[in-house]
Amino acid sequence: MAPTVENEWKKGSAELLILSLLENQPRHGYDIAGLIETRSKGALHFHVASLYPLLYRLEKRGWIQGRWVEKPNQRRRRYYRLTAEGQRVLGLQRRKWQEFAGAVSRVAGVQNA
Amino acid sequence: MPEWKQEIAKRLSAASLRPEREAEIIEELSIHLQDRYDQLLSDGTADEEACRQVLAELDSTDLQAEMRDTESTVAQDSVPAGAAPTGQWFSDLLQDLRYAGRVLRKSPGFTAVAALTLALGIGANTAVFTIVNTLLLNPLPVEKISELVAINTTQAKLTTQSGELQLVSFLNLKEFQERTQSFNSLAAHSNPMAITMTDTAQPRRIFVEVVTVNYFDTLGIHPFMGRFFLSSEDTTPGAAPVVVLGYAAWQGRFGGAPDILGRTIKLNNTPFTIIGVGPKGFKGIYAIFGPDVWVPSMMSEQIFPAQQAKALSDRAIPLFTGIGRLRPGLTLAQARAEFNILAAALEKEYPNTNQDQAIALRPLAEAAYGPERQGLLVGGSLLMGIVGLVLLIACSNVANLLLSRAAVRRQEIAVRMALGAGRIRLIRQLLTESILLGLLGGVLGTLFGYGGCQFLWSFRPAEFAQNFADLRINASMFIFAFAVSILTGLLFGIVPALRTSRASVSEVLKEETRSVGRSRGRISLANTLLAGQVALSLVLLVVAALFLRSIQREYTIDPGFETNHLALFMIYPGQAGYDRTRTEQFYKQARERIASVPGITSLSWASNLPLWGRKETGVAIEGQAQREKSRAISAVVNTIDLNYFSTLGIPFLEGRDFTQDDRDISSPVAIINDTLAAKYWPNQNPLGKRLRLPRGKEFLQVLGVVRTANYQTLGEAPQSCVYIPLRQNYSDAMILYVRTERDPSSTLAAVQDEIHNLDPGLAVEDIRTGTKVIEQALWGAKIGVALLGVFGLLALGLASVGLYGIMAYSVHQRRREIGVRMALGAGQGDVSLFILRQGMTVVLSGVALGAGLAFLLGRALSRFLYGVSPSDPVSLAAASLVLLLVAFTACYLPARSASRVDPLVALRES
Repeated sequence: MAPTVENEWKKGSAELLILSLLENQPRHGYDIAGLIETRSKGALHFHVASLYPLLYRLEKRGWIQGRWVEKPNQRRRRYYRLTAEGQRVLGLQRRKWQEFAGAVSRVAGVQNA
Repeated sequence: MPEWKQEIAKRLSAASLRPEREAEIIEELSIHLQDRYDQLLSDGTADEEACRQVLAELDSTDLQAEMRDTESTVAQDSVPAGAAPTGQWFSDLLQDLRYAGRVLRKSPGFTAVAALTLALGIGANTAVFTIVNTLLLNPLPVEKISELVAINTTQAKLTTQSGELQLVSFLNLKEFQERTQSFNSLAAHSNPMAITMTDTAQPRRIFVEVVTVNYFDTLGIHPFMGRFFLSSEDTTPGAAPVVVLGYAAWQGRFGGAPDILGRTIKLNNTPFTIIGVGPKGFKGIYAIFGPDVWVPSMMSEQIFPAQQAKALSDRAIPLFTGIGRLRPGLTLAQARAEFNILAAALEKEYPNTNQDQAIALRPLAEAAYGPERQGLLVGGSLLMGIVGLVLLIACSNVANLLLSRAAVRRQEIAVRMALGAGRIRLIRQLLTESILLGLLGGVLGTLFGYGGCQFLWSFRPAEFAQNFADLRINASMFIFAFAVSILTGLLFGIVPALRTSRASVSEVLKEETRSVGRSRGRISLANTLLAGQVALSLVLLVVAALFLRSIQREYTIDPGFETNHLALFMIYPGQAGYDRTRTEQFYKQARERIASVPGITSLSWASNLPLWGRKETGVAIEGQAQREKSRAISAVVNTIDLNYFSTLGIPFLEGRDFTQDDRDISSPVAIINDTLAAKYWPNQNPLGKRLRLPRGKEFLQVLGVVRTANYQTLGEAPQSCVYIPLRQNYSDAMILYVRTERDPSSTLAAVQDEIHNLDPGLAVEDIRTGTKVIEQALWGAKIGVALLGVFGLLALGLASVGLYGIMAYSVHQRRREIGVRMALGAGQGDVSLFILRQGMTVVLSGVALGAGLAFLLGRALSRFLYGVSPSDPVSLAAASLVLLLVAFTACYLPARSASRVDPLVALRES
């Protein structure tokens, strides 16, 4: 049971995670996947097959924008940055997440750390 | 290490992404996989294990499905939660439009024919709308026209508000201005009058309006350049010779010269200074015909002809129409009440001139068309109705075309339904197509319409073209064309769309296209549309024929004078600054010199233009009691010189013509027509009887009786007429009538030369032959008939093309059936007859329906017909015959091709 619930939660929060990571600087896909894994201390893990469709979807919505960048001595990579619209959505989703998390906590009797 | 790109490509192969997008995704993902692989290796994972792990991650989700989903997601997902979903409808529309564009491009022949058909219909509508809009809907560029009121007098209290309106004398207007409480300001203007303008060498005839100084302020308009009149310019008679040019006159007659202000022009030989140019598009408040210049009322004496020169001081000379701006909050009814009281007061104070005078107030918007309003309204709505019918025919034609195509598209539609397209969605798609087609037709139609109304407008008499209202080609024309296009698209698209989308999926997909029986319903709908078209075309043709016959009759009307070999010249010696002695001398000299021009048999002077006579009310008959004003005798009064009746060919019935001896010093005389004689001296000898003219002081003795002619309009009811001799009644505005031996056009130049020799400063601009006078009188009617004819033929053309199309299509559909018939022994003639009979049944039912409609419409129009009954059998028969002939041809061609069907070929096709 546990993995399914986790999957659902992961899906729900994935957009928020990606938008947050792009808030301060543009990043490429591998970078994003790595950061999610390290910052969640391995709790959250995005594979290539689920990460990129998500990125493309966000790009289509106009929340993020990808651009091929060539840096000396590095592979050509596609960097994503947050658009103004994405910035707005990020704010919205953060607030919603907080409300949601708060509500869950209050109901489930979980104390915030 | 595996080839990442290949691995990814393998997994995306069935997602059918766009190739360039796929390549991009493969590149990005392969980099990710390579990074991951490198990292696993650097973490110490064995090569094989690293490969396996990377590929497992790639396969952790169904990449192909995810990508297909993501990439096919349209922008609709881009709406964040909580926002209104705006994208769906619009993106669907775009999709529909793209698809519709593709469909139309794919069959250019159909698109061209349909668009052209619609363009003709929409073009006709746009042209007529533009003209109606110019003349009727949006007449004057003045401020708040609803507050403006036109003020006239009517003679008898019985006269209805829209009855015979008369002008107001200047002195009465002053009373109105001083006494009224209803109007914020009250101005006045004269009718446009022809005067002579000399600015360079050649004298020219232009039109002037005499106005009070507050005229422009009352209307709320501002000069384009310079200024309008100052109140100081309208206090002393003759003191301020200033003139305001109309914008069109400035452009047309002065080439838009920028230094026009301050220039001097001579009007009727008096120098006037140009002080301003009126606003663009303003040509006076008479919506159809306007003046070139305006002068202040204190200059009346310099402008009006001698008989009216005392207009400022004589209460009996009415030359003005008042224009008032209502005080805010006051209604027209309140103003009317005030003016009723005012009229009564004036009647008491000035019984000689104001007896029984009522004052008529009308909204300016209504008054702006003068007496033509009624005719314009009827003509305008008739034309709108007719072009509406033409458009209906065009629509039903295109609907038929669409129905034919629907048969071809049944399979396409069925496939789309099988794939899950809803009926509503399909109808929407089909309607988008027809609206796009309508818009295409609309763009073309606007061009046609623009050309059409330019063409119509080019029929304005050229010399006064700039005095006529300008065509209003503006946004409202485009909005109209756009709205009509959309509406048209819906109209012709809705039935085919409903019908096409009703196709049953399974049936159509099973069915083979050539099936005959199933398209029966389609054919019968098409036949109904066709019969309707035929009916409408017949209606138009019959109406056109009725008016054509009517105008033919009008041409044969005897106007009461000989129009052949007659020419007339308008010369106003008074406008060249002549005094009475010189004018009289001029009349005499001109008569003598022109009489010697070879080819001229007789000539005379007269004050009235043929068919432009003005009636005067209040003729008194000696020995008969003073009549109540409501039954006052009115008569056309014409001042004439010697030989008038022989020159015009008006026969004498009794008595004698004027002679040299009927002069100032002899007793005053008159000649009357037989209508007047019969009415007021029935069964008596009118010779020697006496009558008095409305403004005359003395009784005139009747010298002779002549036959009644037409004085105001062709074919009018007989009117009374009094002729008075020029020698006893001086006038400085006369018209020269000349009778010639042969075609007068050859002598026109010689006469002009003679007048030029007498005085090069005299303008002789308006020269007409007698036949042209008649043509001008019938000008409006002729234009109307021409339009009706053109639209009728257009309708006939459209209907016959539609008929041919549907017959040809039906023959093609029934080749198999025809083949079977022929195989079973039917001859070629039988087959032709069979098809012909079918087509002509539709046509005949259309003709029957159309004849009924035409009869009803003809009755509604009967009062505009002259000498033709609305059920005139000749018109009906002629129109039906033309229609049947054309329809027969349209049916015969397909019938002939049907008879040539080779049964073997036709049957083998199945």
